[in-house]
Amino acid sequence: MFANFAIDLFITAATFGNLVTGQGVNYFLYIAPGSNLITSMVAAFQSGRDVWREKYIKDLTSYLLTLPVKRPVLAFSRVLGGVVRSVIATFPGTLVICYLYGIILSPKILLAYLIVGTFSLGIVGLSMAISAFSSSIEMWVTVRSAIQLYLSFLSALFYPVTVFPSALAPIITSNPMTWAIQAFRQLSPTQFPQVPVGDPLGSILVLMGPSLAFALLGTICYIWYSKL
Amino acid sequence: MALRDVSVLFRTPWIIITRGLAFVIQVFVFAYFISTLIHIPGLNFWEYYSIGSVVTTIASISFVIGYDIFEEAEEGLLDYLLTLPVSRRQFIIGRALGGAIRAIIYTIPMFTVIVIFWGFNQPLSIASALLSMFLLAFGVTGMAITLAVSVRTANRFDVVIALLELAVSRASIALYPLQRLPDYVKGIAPFSPVSLASWNAWSSLAFSAPDLLNIAALGAFVAVFLGLGAAFYFRRLEGGIYA
Repeated sequence: MFANFAIDLFITAATFGNLVTGQGVNYFLYIAPGSNLITSMVAAFQSGRDVWREKYIKDLTSYLLTLPVKRPVLAFSRVLGGVVRSVIATFPGTLVICYLYGIILSPKILLAYLIVGTFSLGIVGLSMAISAFSSSIEMWVTVRSAIQLYLSFLSALFYPVTVFPSALAPIITSNPMTWAIQAFRQLSPTQFPQVPVGDPLGSILVLMGPSLAFALLGTICYIWYSKL
Repeated sequence: MALRDVSVLFRTPWIIITRGLAFVIQVFVFAYFISTLIHIPGLNFWEYYSIGSVVTTIASISFVIGYDIFEEAEEGLLDYLLTLPVSRRQFIIGRALGGAIRAIIYTIPMFTVIVIFWGFNQPLSIASALLSMFLLAFGVTGMAITLAVSVRTANRFDVVIALLELAVSRASIALYPLQRLPDYVKGIAPFSPVSLASWNAWSSLAFSAPDLLNIAALGAFVAVFLGLGAAFYFRRLEGGIYA
């Protein structure tokens, strides 16, 4: 995961930093958190894939259901486990971004991990929901790829929202990635254009809306499909 | 063998849908919007990126043969394939050729979209671009076969092939011009086979100027990796891990 992140950051993001000039912003720093959020997205999706493999490949679901815990607790703990895994997988990447933003020794670093955790919460829930409805791994991978494309390219990850035509604005502003990246950028002491100055807590609160909804969806789907 | 490899890829339409969708969004959403922020004199970045996307896609598809060969060995299907009435040499060349042909068949619709969209209409330029893409696919297939028969554990194979694919595509000039790459990548990027193919494709299509030196270098890349892949594969088949 870290190698993937490093290639994303030190080759792709660095190249875009050299390509996009004259915008009054250090574009490398502008898109740097995106490399970390993409890594956390990949790690979070892995949890859903594990749930799918447990059912269709390893036949582990029946064993898990015999454990002495209530199903809602089991289901939600699967979501939380995925979040913890994702935060651990992106731990060094988040440190690198905090270093680049000059906040590695500041309490803001906790907010950076909160952003990664909140974002991962939604993606883990979403990936578990996909697992409940995918009968083949190819279908699962296709749906995952479609969601990843939406999160990456139809968000403010690479470009400011104003680049998009106004018809696309609702799609971009309802994208959780847009709020996660905005919250990250607000942690930087550098002011980026079109990123509101101020506390990232507001953006994190907005991000929590879809994240909690997707986590709930993942939990419900896990309970539903474990009954099948 | 080549026909079998071609039909195997097309039996999994989800993979084709996924990669097709990714290509369309990458070129017509991402590249379009990001090119509004990039201003390099004398370079239409959107056009450059579009051609590079086709080349990186063909490289990516060519790596899939490595996964196929690794899975066949794990699932025991290779034992059946070896009982077929073809010589080992035909078998190995058939695998490499099949991998390359299916990659080129798969990317031709994307290539056609780009050719029509940007109005490239010189037959020789289009043929030169296709030749460099085919050579790239052939060489990468050999590289993937070499890896598939050299790495023994599934997890290690997944990691190595994914990183190699990422490194070969990203540390290249396929998607971004050389002068804007970070300094530590500039030194190696021109030697990436993806760079050789994309440079020839771009210079053929955009300027009707095929780069013969690049085509020759791609030929050497094919010879080296096809030879290596064949040698490794042959050794494994005859008394190696598959015996």
